[in-house]
Amino acid sequence: MKYMIMTFGSAEAGLATMGKEWMVNMIQFMHKLDDDLRKSGELVSAEGLADGSQAKTVRFQNGIPVSTDGPFAESKESLVGYWIVDVENEARAIEIASRIVAFVKVPIEVRRVMDAPPEF
Amino acid sequence: MRELAPQVLAILVRRHGQFDACEDAVQEALLAAALQWPKTGAPDNPRSWLTTVASRRLVDVWRSENARRRREETATALELPVVEVPAHDDTLTLLFLCCHPSLSVPSQLALTLRAVGGLTTVEIANAFLVPEATMAQRISRAKQSIRSAGMQFDLPPEPERAERLVVVLHVLYLIFNEGYTTSSGPTVHRTDLTAEAIRLTRLLLLLAPAEGEVAGLLALMLLTDARRAARTDGDGWLIPLDEQRRDLWNTAQISEGVAILTRTLGKAPIGPYQLQAAIAAVHDEAPSAKDTDWPQILALYEVLERVSPGPVVTLNRAVAVAMVHGPRAGLALLGTLEDDERMAHNHRLEAVRGHLLEMAGEPVAARESYLRAARMTASLPEQRYLGLRAARLG
Repeated sequence: MKYMIMTFGSAEAGLATMGKEWMVNMIQFMHKLDDDLRKSGELVSAEGLADGSQAKTVRFQNGIPVSTDGPFAESKESLVGYWIVDVENEARAIEIASRIVAFVKVPIEVRRVMDAPPEF
Repeated sequence: MRELAPQVLAILVRRHGQFDACEDAVQEALLAAALQWPKTGAPDNPRSWLTTVASRRLVDVWRSENARRRREETATALELPVVEVPAHDDTLTLLFLCCHPSLSVPSQLALTLRAVGGLTTVEIANAFLVPEATMAQRISRAKQSIRSAGMQFDLPPEPERAERLVVVLHVLYLIFNEGYTTSSGPTVHRTDLTAEAIRLTRLLLLLAPAEGEVAGLLALMLLTDARRAARTDGDGWLIPLDEQRRDLWNTAQISEGVAILTRTLGKAPIGPYQLQAAIAAVHDEAPSAKDTDWPQILALYEVLERVSPGPVVTLNRAVAVAMVHGPRAGLALLGTLEDDERMAHNHRLEAVRGHLLEMAGEPVAARESYLRAARMTASLPEQRYLGLRAARLG
């Protein structure tokens, strides 16, 4: 079964407050994680996203779609990256997410991808 | 050609050991055959052609690994005549090996499709909608586990065999089920896993003709797959059994499934696959939804619940109870599942409740149940179907 593991936050805030060592460790951690998931045959895809401040939101306004700057919710935290993994069960997806949480210490969302066969 | 894959692999493993290296070599021989045979025509003895090409490939690999001593041993081995071992037993042994309980379920599925089914990594990756590299890695990991656990290329000893067969059947059942996912992916590029599962189960029945549950699983697959053309409409919407166009059902598959079941029932110990097949047969043989023999289905579910109890069986029995004794009786039985933790995250309890509430003439409560079920399911076509049921009552 496939799961999407999502991290939220702001790359900008991270860059501003954290030091060089943190950055280097973070990059190493992410490389190692991707590599481990690739080797275990579980990685479907993983992407990091540009900072939410660079996002555009397209809304339906006065009968036409209008593009404005900023992420949809206009909150400080937005999606910064995700992994899609194909794993044996939910427990394994949570195990992977826990490994990320233990390192980045911000909440991670784990969502099942709609890939189950229908029952009838 | 693909039915030769497990036979050739078994010959190599018997001769050289090293399951993982042999499996890679067979895969390459199959690819070579796929390229050459259309141009040159199939050789007179395709099995020995594949065996020779795969053996050469093995030697090349060992040579490039610079294992000189090994190479010499192998070169000697290659000159030995092909020992004609019964291919049947070998394919069965291979199936048991690929479905070894120490492998993860995704690994069992992938390895079975490649080593026994003879599918390429690309085909398997496409079928499961994962990148080829991921599938290649998963297969290679599975093979490493087999090697590091020192698993032998032998049939499991008799006391374990029944237990191990249960795992093999489960893997084939999951491959079949996975085929249903086709409705949510780019179908054009996907290997038909349902057909492959049927082919492999057919093969298994040839190898183990006395096993009632193997026959039961094959019958269940045929009787379920027979309804495939009627299961969805042109836009991919699911159509429930009672609304399906029965003239679209595959009558040849139904006859075959019923025939297999008829000659099996009573001759071997009864098991869950035979019972589920019997239930599918009652549905398939009904000329219309309203002519369905529900008392017979209910009786079969009662036996199934004794043989293989579980909340999903109870859930299905509740539907049969509702059809025989009315929706209230069905809803009362559903109530017994309320506190079952195994059902807490299962959308089917709410989906069935919605259906029975609708039957009982309670559209508001039914709508609530359908919506709850739609939120819980991880199947896209099912979510759309449940949403539609709710919308119809809105």
